[in-house]
Amino acid sequence: MSWDDAALLALRSLGRRGARSLLAALGVALGTTLLVALLSIAGTADSRIVSQLSHGGPAAAIHVDDAVPDPAGYNSDSLQAGPHRDLDDAALMAIRHAPHVTSVVPVLSTDALVVPCPGRERGSPSAPPACRQPADDYFGALVGADLTRSSELPITVLAGRLPAPGSMTEVAVTQSYVERVHLDVTHPAAVLGSPIELATPQLLPGGNRFRGRWYRVQVVGVVAQTVDSGEFLVPIQQTQVARQWALSGAENQSFRRPTSPYSGLVVVADSLANVHAVRQEIFTIGYANSAPEHLVASVQKYLHVVDIVLGGIGSVALAIAVLGVTNTLLAAVRERWREIGVLKALGAADGDVARWFLVEAGLLGISGGVVGTAIGTAVAGSVALTVNRYLVDQGLQGIDLGGLPVGLLVGAPAAAALLAVAAGVVPAIRAARLPVREALGG
Amino acid sequence: MVSVRGLTHQYGDGPAPLTILCGVDMELEPGGYAAVTGVSGAGKSTLLAILGGLEPVQSGSVLVAGEDVAHLRGGDLARFRRERIGFVFQDFGLLTMLTARENVEVALALAGVPRRDRRDHADRLLGEVGLADRASHRPARLSGGELQRVAMARALANNPRVILADEPTGNLDEGSAGRVMDLLERLRQERGCTLVVVTHNPELAARAERRLRLSRGRLVSL
Repeated sequence: MSWDDAALLALRSLGRRGARSLLAALGVALGTTLLVALLSIAGTADSRIVSQLSHGGPAAAIHVDDAVPDPAGYNSDSLQAGPHRDLDDAALMAIRHAPHVTSVVPVLSTDALVVPCPGRERGSPSAPPACRQPADDYFGALVGADLTRSSELPITVLAGRLPAPGSMTEVAVTQSYVERVHLDVTHPAAVLGSPIELATPQLLPGGNRFRGRWYRVQVVGVVAQTVDSGEFLVPIQQTQVARQWALSGAENQSFRRPTSPYSGLVVVADSLANVHAVRQEIFTIGYANSAPEHLVASVQKYLHVVDIVLGGIGSVALAIAVLGVTNTLLAAVRERWREIGVLKALGAADGDVARWFLVEAGLLGISGGVVGTAIGTAVAGSVALTVNRYLVDQGLQGIDLGGLPVGLLVGAPAAAALLAVAAGVVPAIRAARLPVREALGG
Repeated sequence: MVSVRGLTHQYGDGPAPLTILCGVDMELEPGGYAAVTGVSGAGKSTLLAILGGLEPVQSGSVLVAGEDVAHLRGGDLARFRRERIGFVFQDFGLLTMLTARENVEVALALAGVPRRDRRDHADRLLGEVGLADRASHRPARLSGGELQRVAMARALANNPRVILADEPTGNLDEGSAGRVMDLLERLRQERGCTLVVVTHNPELAARAERRLRLSRGRLVSL
């Protein structure tokens, strides 16, 4: 009897006991669902979070400050800065050429007076949603960065888009600003399109009075960012102009002119393992810096434990499902004694009978595996979306969910089929070795 | 065609095994037709099972269609049953999830007949037993007589040299039983195969060329 003859026989046998076959296949499907969902979730955590961190991606970036390092901070994740030190292009180039550095993005932050919804637009019923309730003017910080390299920066767009690189009229705000203008942070898109007037300061000669360089911008995006502390993410050109404006003024004890071309750098190392070495090199060059290297290493270890636990739970579920297949087939052997006897009387060899049951097990496994993989992938996707939404709602960086794990999509049904075939070995052997006369009821 | 010498068969391994066949001798020429009768438990079905290679030969010699059944094992035994023997059972032994045609095709598949040839061959056999129009019916939709005719078509699928029929009319009414036996005898004559029928029915046994009776483990001619 060939394999396709065995498949026909197996299909008909499964169809005859449709409900039982369905239950056995559902058992495999449930086991596969759990395994695929857990592995997908763990895989997402691994490939999207840990790999991003462990490869020194933006989330594990080193923040360099325009200050001399405090030696006490060499082994600390947090910034331990000494006195101010200008951070210029020479320093930037030195750090860029340091070993294991993959990218260096300059940052220039500056203070500004912020006027949400300036003039007659404030409080008007026909105004944009962000301007319908009064909001006070306040001093905030503009974080200027080279937005042509936004992928190398720890920025997540929650709504809208980033300002166009080089734009002097666009700004992205954080959720703090959304809250400040009395909008619901869970619906950040409402702030898009609202106007803001900004004034960057210049100290007038005499050192007692400021004047502002006023300009108007429009909110084009809402972001979560850890580039630097500040509610406004802008192209670095805006803060460079603000710096020039401040430099052309005076200074006093409370207002120092921004002599440093950059207020900070975001440095990405080629791997988590080299973050520490890069930090030491930056210390040697002479700048204070911080990076969540200890945190990332701990997270990595915990996620590995989570992987093991999730994989273990999924494997137990699949093992139970496979035992279900064995049970179903053992019942089938018992039920089909007479048919096995007839087949042997017709000349079926032991191998022919075994093939019948193995193919049946394989069909249960592959059908359950395909269904389980589909459901498991959907569950994992849904969980990942929920987690992503939660992270974003909390103002944290979202996870790049990426595509479907192809290896898992192909491997899971194949593994389920193989396991089911393995589960069918005992029933198949039992059927094959059944004495023919006994099977015929003699 | 069938030559049995000194066949002894026991059931049970204890100190008092039950001897079911005791030195049975039997000779049947090619194309011969024998009916074996006897009371229940006399060993009729056991004798048939031994002839068909379903039960191992414990003692004595059994030659069927030129093969020494006592020395066949595993795959050779399966091949012997496949190529030399056609079984007809009292309860028909059809696979209920398959159609009449597919039941016949199973025997052809086991013999390695290519799939493209099986359907025609099966339809031809079903035509021979008068069931051409029932080929696509499942056993649940066939009468007892029709079921037994499907079983006969299946038994003939691989041109066996010997047909072994165990109470072939045991589950049939009188009319169907007569028609089934008529058909069985006609097919035997047309194909020239040897037919051994086990039956309780003396009228059925009377139709055979040789009538044998199993009693107390011994086979006697009537």
